[in-house]
Amino acid sequence: MTSTHTNSHTEAAKMEQVITEFFYKSLLIILESRSSYVSSRNYSGEQTVSSPSSSSSSSSSVRPRDKWFNLALRECPSALENLDLCRQSNFEPVVVDVVLEQKPLDWGPASFSPTSDLVRNLSSKNKNSYFWNCDQDESGSEMKCEKIIERWFVQHESRKGRDCNSGNRRSSCNNLSALYKKLILMLRSLYVTVRLLPAYNIFRDLNSSGLIRSFKLVPRVSSFVEPLARKEEVDMQRFWFTPVDTSCGRLCLSVLYYSSISDMSSESSTPMSPQFIPDYVGSPLADPLRRFPSLPVSHGSPSSLPFSRRHSWSYDHYKASPPLVSFSPSPTHSESNALVSNPTSRGLPPMSLPPHPPETSLAHKRNTNFDEYCPSPNFSASPSPSPSPSLPIYIPRTHLSKDLLRSESAPVNIAAPKLANSPALSGKQNLPPSPPLKITRAGTSRADNIRVPAETDATVDKIFSFGKEDCWKYSGVKAFSNSSPRISCSRSSSRSLQDDFDYSEFPCPFDVEDGEMMDPGSRKSQDAAVGALVRMLKKAPPLRQNVSLNFSEASRPEILSNSIPKQSQISEAVTVEHAAAPNIASFRLVASKTTTDALEELRGYKVMKNLLLSEGGKAYTSNVASAAEHSSTSKGT
Amino acid sequence: MNCEVCQLKELEVEHFEIREVLRCILHTIVFHRALGLVRPKDVDLELFEITYVQCGDVELEKKIDEKIDHFISWVEKHPNKKSQICLSFYEVKSKQPSWFTNKTERLYWEQWYVNLNVTQHPKHHSSKSHHTKLVVDPGESATEERSCRRAMVEASLREVLFQIIKFVNEKKDHVPPISEGVIYFPYEITIPSSSDSAFGMDMIKRMLHSGHPTMLS
Repeated sequence: MTSTHTNSHTEAAKMEQVITEFFYKSLLIILESRSSYVSSRNYSGEQTVSSPSSSSSSSSSVRPRDKWFNLALRECPSALENLDLCRQSNFEPVVVDVVLEQKPLDWGPASFSPTSDLVRNLSSKNKNSYFWNCDQDESGSEMKCEKIIERWFVQHESRKGRDCNSGNRRSSCNNLSALYKKLILMLRSLYVTVRLLPAYNIFRDLNSSGLIRSFKLVPRVSSFVEPLARKEEVDMQRFWFTPVDTSCGRLCLSVLYYSSISDMSSESSTPMSPQFIPDYVGSPLADPLRRFPSLPVSHGSPSSLPFSRRHSWSYDHYKASPPLVSFSPSPTHSESNALVSNPTSRGLPPMSLPPHPPETSLAHKRNTNFDEYCPSPNFSASPSPSPSPSLPIYIPRTHLSKDLLRSESAPVNIAAPKLANSPALSGKQNLPPSPPLKITRAGTSRADNIRVPAETDATVDKIFSFGKEDCWKYSGVKAFSNSSPRISCSRSSSRSLQDDFDYSEFPCPFDVEDGEMMDPGSRKSQDAAVGALVRMLKKAPPLRQNVSLNFSEASRPEILSNSIPKQSQISEAVTVEHAAAPNIASFRLVASKTTTDALEELRGYKVMKNLLLSEGGKAYTSNVASAAEHSSTSKGT
Repeated sequence: MNCEVCQLKELEVEHFEIREVLRCILHTIVFHRALGLVRPKDVDLELFEITYVQCGDVELEKKIDEKIDHFISWVEKHPNKKSQICLSFYEVKSKQPSWFTNKTERLYWEQWYVNLNVTQHPKHHSSKSHHTKLVVDPGESATEERSCRRAMVEASLREVLFQIIKFVNEKKDHVPPISEGVIYFPYEITIPSSSDSAFGMDMIKRMLHSGHPTMLS
């Protein structure tokens, strides 16, 4: 009796242990295929060479727990945490909720994700908006959305009104071995089933792709859970594993799951993950010397693009450097394809994820953003041509004409000899009106600066209009200073700005010595006057076309009209001065003209000079002739 | 002991899909019958979004691949034909030796029939579809058709796998007890032989002379 009682206790204890281990094993199987950690999926790949039972040496690698139900799996931390739950003597049911969590929509720079707006948009447009359960988090700052996509039930249903310990030893032993065999079979099928359900695809992609996702799988283990909403349960399917009878009840295993969810990971074509590249070629971070110190450098959102970014719009940059912020929604490309009710699909959460916008619209949006974030030009007010930060104008690539992007010609400048040979100036008639372009030295054959295209382009106008007002804002003050506003749109290069505006080395036939000022009242030679005009033009702020055109077209007749003096050659010079003097004021007005226009004017001045000389001679001759005639006439009367 | 038979749902597959489909099905069945200590190995199909499980035994994997190769060779010789692969589990029992029988016999306790209908490539516009390599105008419709067909095959395969799981769950009593040190039960894979009639004859032969050790394995 005592031995029977002892045996029954032993059998009962064994049964209890088997049931407990079954709970743990089933939990392990479920969690290791739903938790984002190194699961048996990767673990088992290592063991093809050494099967646990193929050689005695490998048996040492098999842990005691692995031998339960002859299924060696890698340990799962979350399963271990819930071991106590499995060891409950009363065998409380264990419920595993596999929750699909959307990461909070954080628009901060640090966690910027291009997919955030996609998720948000889809959430707002989701037809089955009840799919996601969204709540404010504890802080109330973020919206957290989650959805139970699977619910596993592991429970032991006790048989009532029957003594579990009854029966002889032999039958108990047979029962135990039979039970053990059946539990092995059940766990085998459980292992296969968890990999056939839709949630496994999410798990696999999350673990294997390494891409940044806006969602994650979170299994939650508990003994008691709130029942799912009826409408949720209606949409879910249930799969029952055939219960296995035990001595005092039966072990039941079942799962509720969504079968009609689309594949969130069907994004084989978009592997890029969004990332902010701070040290792209040409960025201030890559070249600290070029960085404008007063401007912030932030990461993440396009709104925080550094305003000090320069030279990033040259063609070579676009060829060489990667995009600053990848707007590729690749990580959530598939998650945005939220289709519903496709039983043949792989089965992933549907519906609430935004559709993947086309690349063109994203590109458009990117450029639009860039337009908005185009910084105001930063003019350097340095009085000397020392290295100073040049104008950081970010010009979106789409707004640049192809000619602009592809230009490699040397920048134009005012010096005649060089300009005449510059290929950039051939046939330039329709230049953009107000160019905050660099007025730089010629001879720079490197493709450092952007050539103004020959043809008028509205987009180019827009580009230059970015800085136009600021040109006026800054340039008017600097018109007659010894320095010129440093307006540079060139990409970063190793050369300093000193190279750009070093006019002192540049020979000018009309140049006068430094320090000489053009005093309207002073008497100068014609050459000096013209030279002074040229010098003034060099240092003048950008000209306005309309005024300059008026000047260039109207001033000649004016000068010509003034060039018919009734006086001698000296007075002719005075008239030139008179002609020149009122034009000084107009020079300021035409400061915004391009260098090409200036060249044209210079040529005009040459013509004027020649004309003046010729006119002066003619006038003298005519005066003499008229005086002689007059005198002859008066004599005749 | 009775022999449980499971006729799996027929799958319509193309030639290039045979290997993956058969690997998936056969390994899934064997994994359910590998009741010894195993360290499962997950395998992702390349053609379908399905992950199946192997029991990790190299020898087993090799044997299954050999059988699949034989089957593919047979399919190439007998195109456009429905075929059946039989995976049988048996117990080796000793018996009285006689003139025509050996000492041991095989007692089949479970048989799985994998039914395949191997189809040709989709017909093209040209009538000579078998030899035509150029497609007149595939366009998007052909791609869509292909993907649709692929999805259907995947769904069917998934159904077959669930069918296996259900069968394994529902019928457990006929499974023999686990032997110590044995990973999986003895099995046998039967593929169609060179002729259709021979296939049936092989089956009958096997039934009559059950226990012949080397006839068909």
